Amino acid sequence: MGKRNSRAGDLGGGPRKRQRIVHEAPTAEEIHASRQLFQLLAFDQDSTRARHGLQSFKLFLDALLARGDGHENRFRILQDFLQVAQPSEGEGGGDENRIYLPDIFQTWSHHAQVGNDNILSAVPVVLALLLKMLSQTLEMVPFGLGVCRTLLQKRQLELISRNLSAEKGKAFIISPTLRMLREAICFDGGAIARPIFRARALALKSLARNMGIVHAGEESEEASKTPSVRTNAVLFLLRALKFLHPEAKRELLSQRDIVASLTRDIKQDPAYLVVEILNGLRDHVLLDDKVQRDAKSNLLNAATLIRISSLYYYRHVIPEGSDLPSIPDAAHDFLVTACTTPSCGVLRQDSGLYPRETDPDAAVPSAELDELGLEAIVWMNRFKNEVPVRNYVLSNFLQNLRPWSSVKQNELVTAIFKVAPELVADFFINNKSFTFEPKLSATWIGYAAFLFNAVTLPIPDNFCRTPSFLKLPPPTSILIDNILPLPLNQKVLVRCLAHKSKMVSFFATRILVVAVQKLDAAVKMHQDASHTNKALWTEAARRLVDEFCQRSPGIKDMINSYRSIAEGDILHREAASLLLRLYYEVIPQVALMAKFDVSPFLETALGRLSKQQMDDPRDVALNLKELENLLAIAGYSPGMRWFSASEVLTLSPFTALLKVYVDAPHGVALTKIREVLNFVAVEQQLVPAQAGHPGLLPLLEALQSSNKSSSGLITSLWPFLDNCLTRCATAPIKYLETMQDIVEEASKDSATGLPGSVVSPIIVAMLEQLPFVTKAADKDVLSSLAKFLPKFLSLSAAAGESRPLLEVLLSKMSAYFSGELSPLSKDKSKSKSSTRTSEESLTGTTLVSGLDRKEGTTTAVINDDELRQILEVSDNLEADNSALVKWTTKTADELLDEGYAVSLVTLLVSEHASIRKEALINILKMAAKVQQSEYEEKEQVWLLLSELAETAKGHVDDGPLPSPIVAFTCHGLRVLRDPLSSLYPKVNAFLTHSPVWNLDRLPLVDEILVEEPSVGDSYYAQLNWLLSYLIDSLRTPQDLELFHKKRVRGPLLERLLVLASNSYMRLPLKTQILRILYQATSVEGGSTTLITRLGIVNWLEARRSACTDVGEAGLYRALERRVWESCDKERVSAWSKQGIVDITA
Amino acid sequence: MADSSKSSKKTDQQVASDFTSYYLQRVTQEFAEDLDKVRTADDFKNDALPLLVNALQQGTALFSPEDQRRIVTAEAAAAKNDSV
Repeated sequence: MGKRNSRAGDLGGGPRKRQRIVHEAPTAEEIHASRQLFQLLAFDQDSTRARHGLQSFKLFLDALLARGDGHENRFRILQDFLQVAQPSEGEGGGDENRIYLPDIFQTWSHHAQVGNDNILSAVPVVLALLLKMLSQTLEMVPFGLGVCRTLLQKRQLELISRNLSAEKGKAFIISPTLRMLREAICFDGGAIARPIFRARALALKSLARNMGIVHAGEESEEASKTPSVRTNAVLFLLRALKFLHPEAKRELLSQRDIVASLTRDIKQDPAYLVVEILNGLRDHVLLDDKVQRDAKSNLLNAATLIRISSLYYYRHVIPEGSDLPSIPDAAHDFLVTACTTPSCGVLRQDSGLYPRETDPDAAVPSAELDELGLEAIVWMNRFKNEVPVRNYVLSNFLQNLRPWSSVKQNELVTAIFKVAPELVADFFINNKSFTFEPKLSATWIGYAAFLFNAVTLPIPDNFCRTPSFLKLPPPTSILIDNILPLPLNQKVLVRCLAHKSKMVSFFATRILVVAVQKLDAAVKMHQDASHTNKALWTEAARRLVDEFCQRSPGIKDMINSYRSIAEGDILHREAASLLLRLYYEVIPQVALMAKFDVSPFLETALGRLSKQQMDDPRDVALNLKELENLLAIAGYSPGMRWFSASEVLTLSPFTALLKVYVDAPHGVALTKIREVLNFVAVEQQLVPAQAGHPGLLPLLEALQSSNKSSSGLITSLWPFLDNCLTRCATAPIKYLETMQDIVEEASKDSATGLPGSVVSPIIVAMLEQLPFVTKAADKDVLSSLAKFLPKFLSLSAAAGESRPLLEVLLSKMSAYFSGELSPLSKDKSKSKSSTRTSEESLTGTTLVSGLDRKEGTTTAVINDDELRQILEVSDNLEADNSALVKWTTKTADELLDEGYAVSLVTLLVSEHASIRKEALINILKMAAKVQQSEYEEKEQVWLLLSELAETAKGHVDDGPLPSPIVAFTCHGLRVLRDPLSSLYPKVNAFLTHSPVWNLDRLPLVDEILVEEPSVGDSYYAQLNWLLSYLIDSLRTPQDLELFHKKRVRGPLLERLLVLASNSYMRLPLKTQILRILYQATSVEGGSTTLITRLGIVNWLEARRSACTDVGEAGLYRALERRVWESCDKERVSAWSKQGIVDITA
Repeated sequence: MADSSKSSKKTDQQVASDFTSYYLQRVTQEFAEDLDKVRTADDFKNDALPLLVNALQQGTALFSPEDQRRIVTAEAAAAKNDSV
């Protein structure tokens, strides 16, 4: 190992490469008189003496600013000094050229030439302190201004410039110079800011570089207590921005290096400086209305925003005791203001969901629109992979945020989405790397929360925030990306719903709930009455729903998810039931596809509520919400069995619901449940269906009041009540007849006028069942009944039922009890309360009909528009010629699942023979393609298409094929896709029956209306399918002929009218029949045929008077009006001998 | 009724905050097991707790103000009823 040179040898040796700078501490003396100060500051070539003087002055000024002992004395010394130092009038020429403190400046100038760094630092130090001192005393301001002006003279500016551009390592020179400039620019309220800016070439020299000289050293800048060059430079720039005029700010901000340096190292800055920067920029640039927009845009470019957003991860510790806000919070507030305020220069006005390159008000030739529909709009499908946006800065910025990692970033992105809706689709298209693949981790939950927020955002007014809708609808892809953003695809959502962690499924359910609600809003906007091209908007709405269905999980997945939720997870159950309910309300076509029997769920929910195991009444209220959702689903889905016994419940669902109503804790709102009970009771004829009848209310009140007086009393009654209710619902006619017998019998015995008296059939059922109770000799039940029955009958009488008849019934009941039953009470107050509640119930809305009842009227008034909204359906067989070519590239699955086959088939109703011929050839080709594919139902599909082609072959030249044939094929195709469909056997049987169909017959009508449903209890489901297909079948006068043509079992339309009189049929199905009638009125000559051949006016009148629902009655009335207004009035008036005119008037 | 008039006196803000606390209490009870698992996940850092709470309470948006009032006031009404 070689011997090292000793260090001592180096000391005296040759020059080293870098000489170490040694700062010798300057000497100083205390100042007692102004004269002494004058002498100390006099020009001196000797650097030690000059430094001694400057240092003494510095300490003197420090003491002055600290306002310690002897302040007044020092102040007087300074005053005297300034008095003497004041340049005399005329000295040095004009006011601008006068030199204040000439000795100090001469010292600076001389030592600059010599290159004495210590003096170059010491002069700005004292000048900065002096200016600071002078700015605090009004009478000294003129002198201070003089010093500032002196600084602006060319010679001094050159010195300043030289100091500012000193080597990077000489912070001790640069920092004081910047401090001095800062004091100067804000002196006297920025009096000389403008001239300083004029001299920017020298005064702002190296500003960008200086902002880059950050604090070096192991300890932090805060701890070292010496502000870095960067800190001083930034503070100077911020003061300049405060005091400069708008034009100067604009020029300053146009210098890219300055703007870039300002925020480049912001993440390393001490907290107080960060706050200064954010507040300074906000107050003096962003919110300064006089600063032009482009200046603000220069400042807030994507890079600046990204750097400021890095403050979300700011890690410097804020000193204890300081009142500084949290840096991430301050940065967040700044970014929210900067990105969401239009005047801040970042946010640009976009046009909502219409991307930059669209022209939604362009005139597209109507012929093209009619023929091609949405395809006629060139930009409609252009934005699936890229969205041109106006807010490109924000678009860039957003890609750098991580909204899933923090609440604040989530809020920021959501706030930006809210003000610039065009960015939602753009964001998710560009952010493909991040998937929503379920995983129970903080990141996934953060992402779920972010997606929830994005989906919850409202759709912009009229899609583009204009006062009215534009001519053309927005691109479907953009809209669907706003409703179910790209990461939420079907595959991922299905996995989420079925995930083993129930929280994952819960989060996915919640997102889907808000998504369906948003879809509902969007579809409603498409249906707005103000659209000029309604067909186009309707097509767009249909596309939107299709897209939604492709992204959302199937209804079966949701049902399975709901089924798997544990009993106790009431929040989760509530959310899942709400989701199902929304599907039934918003996209019933999808919801009804699954054969979802809600009964078992309803029974479980009822069972849970009847057990009353919940301690917290809020839990009960939440359970009731779930129950309400299920009840609503029961109203929408056909075939709810209210009165059949089940394995889960000892009581029928209806009685169980009644029990829940009676047992519910006080304070829980039960209006909706009461409405459902009443609705079912009327529908099942437990109570008379007369307008003004209190319905089930006397029973509800009797049960509630009995429960209050003694809960044991009711408990023993439930089996008896359930028995009576079930019997009455199964055979209402029997009890009505029994009632008539009793009335007649009583009329013979007494003189009282009983004929025509009516009471609820349920009371008669109770009377009938009493002997069996007596036989069983259950004392508990008997004693309970002895108390309950008089109460119930009294309330019924008070509510307006026939008192004499009730008295007869009560006396008959008495026979079964050992003692006499108490007589009917005549308490008027009771009657009042009943009447009040009955009015309440009548003015409420029913869950099932969804129509408003109006107080005081028996028929709701529905105007033409409302009628159209309720009954009009779009033409599903509308020909889309592009279907001829579209199908060729698709696979068999796509052809059948995505509707290409259906579109092609509908072309057979086209008015153009050439199109029909083309379609026929293509159908044959498609049939062959399907047959050769791996599609599971390929044989049946091939058969259906081939039979259709065979049927159509001889007729394509004659004119459009009858709509029923085509509609049947379209609906039949959907059945074949689903072997679980209850219609699957019937459609297959039909196909094997004959290779060619009879064009005069409507396929499958008899099979469904007359024959047994081949699969279980599916009559109403099959009827629903039939009616949908018939609605599509009625489009032309020729179609109408098929509908009223005489047949063995009567004309089809007549049979449909008979069908609607089925009192067990629910309103949704009845409405389907009314839709067929409405379709008929839209066909030329349809209304006249309906009146003259079917007597439709009388039928509507009869239906109206028979129904109890005011909304339904209003529908009949409005349809009657429609029929009259669209018929050949002259002919009809003559035919009816003016009778129709009187009825419809 | 005295109790319902008392409960209807709650301002919308009070109802919202009462409902949020009930919702959070319910949700943490229902998903206690999963929440424990999330806490032990690799990516669960300091910032994650507010994120989690925020995500959980978002669900209150699924309830209309009327529903929230209905659920929150059920408790007040029941309490009043018990004390009578």
